[in-house]
Amino acid sequence: MELFDFYDQDRWPHVFCPGCGNGTVMNCFFRAFNEMGWKLDNTVFVSGIGCSSRIPLYINSDAIHTTHGRAIAVATGLKLSRPELDVVVFTGDGDLGAIGGNHFINGCRRNVDLDVICINNNIYGMTGGQASVTTPHDYISTTTPFGSKEYPFDLAELAVAAGANYVARWTTRHVHELTKSIKRSLEKKGFNFVEVVSQCPTNFGRRNKMADPSALLDWFKESSVRRDKVRAAAIDHVDLNLAGQITTGEFVCRDRECYHEKKGGGAHRDGH
Amino acid sequence: MRPGIDLRYCKGCNICVYMCPKQCFSNGADLSVQGYFPAIVTAPEKCFNYGRTEKLICELCVLSCPDQAITWEPEPEEEEEKDADQTG
Amino acid sequence: MPIKPGEYFLQGNEACTEASIVAGLKFFAGYPITPSTEIAEGLSSRLPQTNGEFIQMEDEIACVSAIIGASWGGAKSMTATSGPGFSLMQEAVGYAAMTETPIVIVNVMRGGPSTGQPTRASQGDVMATKYGSHGDYQVIAFAPASVQEMFDLTVKAFNYSEKYRVPTFVLSDAEIGHMRGLLTVPKDIKIVNRKEKGVRRADEAYDVPDDLVPAFPTFGKGHKATVTGITHTPKARVEPEDPKVHQELVGRLNDKISANRRDINKWEVIGPDSKTMIVSYGSASFGGREVAARDDRVGLLRLKSLWPLPVEPIREVAEKCEQLLVCEMNLGQLFWEIKRVALEAGCKRVELLAKIGGAPPTPGEVRHKLREMGVI
Repeated sequence: MELFDFYDQDRWPHVFCPGCGNGTVMNCFFRAFNEMGWKLDNTVFVSGIGCSSRIPLYINSDAIHTTHGRAIAVATGLKLSRPELDVVVFTGDGDLGAIGGNHFINGCRRNVDLDVICINNNIYGMTGGQASVTTPHDYISTTTPFGSKEYPFDLAELAVAAGANYVARWTTRHVHELTKSIKRSLEKKGFNFVEVVSQCPTNFGRRNKMADPSALLDWFKESSVRRDKVRAAAIDHVDLNLAGQITTGEFVCRDRECYHEKKGGGAHRDGH
Repeated sequence: MRPGIDLRYCKGCNICVYMCPKQCFSNGADLSVQGYFPAIVTAPEKCFNYGRTEKLICELCVLSCPDQAITWEPEPEEEEEKDADQTG
Repeated sequence: MPIKPGEYFLQGNEACTEASIVAGLKFFAGYPITPSTEIAEGLSSRLPQTNGEFIQMEDEIACVSAIIGASWGGAKSMTATSGPGFSLMQEAVGYAAMTETPIVIVNVMRGGPSTGQPTRASQGDVMATKYGSHGDYQVIAFAPASVQEMFDLTVKAFNYSEKYRVPTFVLSDAEIGHMRGLLTVPKDIKIVNRKEKGVRRADEAYDVPDDLVPAFPTFGKGHKATVTGITHTPKARVEPEDPKVHQELVGRLNDKISANRRDINKWEVIGPDSKTMIVSYGSASFGGREVAARDDRVGLLRLKSLWPLPVEPIREVAEKCEQLLVCEMNLGQLFWEIKRVALEAGCKRVELLAKIGGAPPTPGEVRHKLREMGVI
């Protein structure tokens, strides 16, 4: 497949700032998508509001760009009404973790067959760099000029606890690992969640002495810790994240029955 | 194959320069029509895939380029000869 | 199987449930809230029997978002709510209007603001239905006043929603929703389905026809449809900066409803030549109907649709009568709109009988008000 079989060339180049990680995630996603042999005509891309949620608007496919935070709710309705379609959600940390947090945890719990790619850039990029739920403690944003007092959300860990079928976290520095994880998530049924820690040089890096995209990528490389190693050493990975490190890897891979595999029936019928 | 940069799309973030393990790229100094300073491929022959046509490896530049500006191009024959001359 | 033609003794909410199945409902997302819960409960068993999908979502925003998603999948979809849930849904109502998504929202109104009176009727959401979300948009709203109308108008709500690609409301209230009464299901019920895009040619994919309602590009059929709430051109390109694009888009979204007002509006008149006309709708019209049926001096204009504002019937009665009395179960919402139209039409006097608290105005209260006005 050629690049512009996936993207709408008329809309190129895209709106993202120089050095933004969204494009990297698009590359990895479509590499995995292509390897899986999925068809654009059979796939619908759903997103909310934010930088990462602009991605579906560039894809040469059916796409719905919904209101802030509601991507998973819309995708749930769409998937249940047309189970034969593949539904992929592109979302960001603010969209998924803050305003859409309720839909996110309930989506994981409900386990509808969706693939959710969350591009976590630690900031509200589109509105100009306000602190988000994943801004690391003590980091600067336009709404935390003296450093963030709060501690960040661990979205992947949240998804594990809420019951998602597949959870992985990588950074934009780990492109091959990310591609592999996206492929796994496309393969699997149920609610699959891949979080990508991504760079926002314009709004996050610039205010935190990492204005160059490569400085942010370097930071990802330095602070990434593989989850299996942390586990082996019996260190609490959530504590690591709170300290500003990033646990990467596959968090969970299980096969819970997904929502629309179960039709009717129910416990009460067993008695008859 | 060798990496090539599409000047229409490159926004000059230089992520390729950072990512490439073989230092094939370097920061550009010429302003493009879009108003950026696109990176340049200064040492394509160092690339792992130079001389390969299939089963490409590495691909860190192509996968991480946020603007979809890097693609694989076949090595121009003249350039190969020229390179050979230079090394010879 | 949808309900068979015949006579039934049903609750208003049950009539709405059955009507939605008849109209072709295939997806319902609900969240429990008094007094609309019976609709979700009913559909949780009825939809699986009719090859549809029922889901209980985590909140009302999720409900309306889910039905928008299902609607783009091609399924006729609906949700039902009341009071606080309706407030939550407003965000997505604007989105559905902007993206021209056909959805039906049943609002079994209860006393507000806030939690208010969960079990008592009210008509406090009339203005919120039209003006609840931000920006300029138009919706269609029907106001049933009996179990039979709960059935008929729910079917109509689906038909108009599909025809005009617009969020459509059934503004019932706790009184109608929980009332039991006779329902006659007719043999032939007219069902309208959305005009689907058939041709796969990119250049005509988003053409705007004369009726201002573009064909619906259902997902998964190769249309490569882009749906966005950002201001977009007719070819679905995002253009948030261009004043002309915004004016054309939002202008058309409003025009497609107001230009088709005559097709949409439904009403009923008792005693059209009376000197005094009562204008009312929903359960607030019970008292007025009794009075109008027994007194030649008093007539009744009962609005079955509230939005777009039925200007023509109001103007018609206002031209002929001497005074209007508007009966509402709120502190005067549609009253101001009716008064504006009536005064423009030459009617001298427009009064309001406003009653909140949950009980519809009784015939005695209506007569008392008319006596105060000195007309009976």
